[in-house]
Amino acid sequence: MSDLSTLLWKELLDLSRDYKAILTTVLLPLILLPILGLVGIVLVSQQPATVALIDEDHCESTNSMLNITISSRRVAEILYEELSKKGFKVIESNDTSVVDDPLVDLVVIIPRGFATNATSLSSTASVLVIKRANVQASAMAEQAAREVISWLSYSLARVKIDALSKYAGVEASSEAILSPIVTQQEVVTIVGEKAGVEEELKGLLARFLVLALGIVVTPATSFIIDGIIGERERKTIEMLISLPIPLSKILYSKVLAATIVGIIATISDVVGFLTYIYLTLLVYGVQLMLFIDPLLLVIHAFTSFLTILTSVAMALPFITRTRGIRSASNIAGIVTIIATIIFFTGFIVDYYKLPMNVKTPLYLIPFTHSVLAIQLYVIGYRFESLLHTLILLALSAILLLISIRTLDSEKILVAPPS
Amino acid sequence: MVCTVDTIVVEGLVKVYCNRRVVDGVSFRVKSGEIFGLIGPNGAGKTTTLRMITTLVRPNEGRVIINGIDALAKPVEARKFLSYLPEEAEVYPRLTGYEHMLLHAKLKCPNNYREAVDYGVKLSGLRDRLHDRAGEYSKGMKRRLLIAIALMTKPQVAILDEPTSGLDVYASYSVRKVIREYSREAGAAVVISSHNMLEVEHLCDRVAFINNGRIIDLGAPGELMDKYSSANMEEAFIKAIEASTL
Repeated sequence: MSDLSTLLWKELLDLSRDYKAILTTVLLPLILLPILGLVGIVLVSQQPATVALIDEDHCESTNSMLNITISSRRVAEILYEELSKKGFKVIESNDTSVVDDPLVDLVVIIPRGFATNATSLSSTASVLVIKRANVQASAMAEQAAREVISWLSYSLARVKIDALSKYAGVEASSEAILSPIVTQQEVVTIVGEKAGVEEELKGLLARFLVLALGIVVTPATSFIIDGIIGERERKTIEMLISLPIPLSKILYSKVLAATIVGIIATISDVVGFLTYIYLTLLVYGVQLMLFIDPLLLVIHAFTSFLTILTSVAMALPFITRTRGIRSASNIAGIVTIIATIIFFTGFIVDYYKLPMNVKTPLYLIPFTHSVLAIQLYVIGYRFESLLHTLILLALSAILLLISIRTLDSEKILVAPPS
Repeated sequence: MVCTVDTIVVEGLVKVYCNRRVVDGVSFRVKSGEIFGLIGPNGAGKTTTLRMITTLVRPNEGRVIINGIDALAKPVEARKFLSYLPEEAEVYPRLTGYEHMLLHAKLKCPNNYREAVDYGVKLSGLRDRLHDRAGEYSKGMKRRLLIAIALMTKPQVAILDEPTSGLDVYASYSVRKVIREYSREAGAAVVISSHNMLEVEHLCDRVAFINNGRIIDLGAPGELMDKYSSANMEEAFIKAIEASTL
């Protein structure tokens, strides 16, 4: 067994017995994220919004020319049925004081003159929807009420158009009059190939994978801090570095162990996250597994590995020059913040679309290449994706070499003066 | 005592931290089979000197030769001949005593690590506790494990910083016995630092008094006691320190 594998054996053996670290790094995301999804689904289903319906019109109006009759009572009944079907608790009221009742999330009022205006050819009927600010249930109920009212409005418009065309003896399509211009949409890839909804879902998944890269940085830097500063404080490192092996091998073993921890954390996070998405989409009858590209996951895993290497290499020279774990954690925090900014913006911004004068300085930050490797692969630019992966690999290696070359046993052993 | 060649040569070692010379021109030689003691008050520069000999800290001036190898030019080569037990060395609490031995033996002598581990098992005297996690050991057991690790590969140079620190009387006695026997059997050069004057008097062939980073006197314990007209090493040490600060 080579020196490096012996050292790695020690690091992994020690880590595998650190049950608290395993729990927080691996098991928590794996268990917590799906639970989070399930709890979210259950809690959302357990917060039925209450909608109060008030019919102030109490009127039925007929337009004999159009041969239509509208009853405010019937409109209220339709609203009642449709909202109840969507799981809302609907109550009928005659009093607008229900607005003051905090248990009521949404108030729908059919005002006086509604039926008359609805049957008219010159007036517009309105329905008053009173929504509560900052109440999630109210927003959901409002959305549902709007959909029902919109459907009613569309149906009534069609009836009116059909009646008018018949009255005028003109052949007319209610669809053509209601929507004289429609948008027809086709989705294509960036190179013009036809794409379906699965491509868009893959893109969404890739965005989440970019975001997940931010998760790998923290456990990796924490592990390297513990491996060097923690060992210094626990007085175990001095005997280790006095062995006849180059210091670089000891540091490489720690970097490798940190990378393994980071990758396990990533796998755990991604599996947990995919389970969460899978459960959520299952509710809507969508099979997520159909949209998972195995090669994308491989690229993500490799990018994670390089991202961890880069993070550790960036933090290492500063960590070893700190007095203790607290100040080392502050240094690692700076690397984590840089990574978070890049990966969060990578979630919402297409980095490859940025103008060159913005992109060029960003290229100096290795995490930019992590984002581009994934984003470019998803849009079909596989060569460019590979190129950024190689740039990331080169940057990781260069940073790591510089970090390890600038270190010596004295810097590790003797804390700098305060 | 079997004195042959100088296994350790330390010449004019200087170490400066924050404009302070914590080690200021330390020189001494240790022959194979000899036990050399480095005695001094806290902050005298003992640990920094030992760290420079073990190549962990680079001196600003001076040189260290280990078994004929320039330790500053070839630190990894020099470390092949030496073992170092730091004063406050600790164990990995989640590894067993046996796993500690495996780790060090495989890194130090990969070709015959089993032999080294067997010797370490014997030296440690931990018997059935060797397969328990080291975090569960008492302070004395941890120290015995670490001394066994330092000596199990039979190094030609052993640097032991406060080897009996924290041990009870019986354990200290047995550790001293191990060091003495080891030095004689292996013909190894041993450098120890200690606060225990009884230990120094009975264990060391020669002793150096160190204060403010300088060796203020050096000789066999009997010679030093005679020189300072003292009944024991403790008295000789105090008189030497007082004389140096006058």
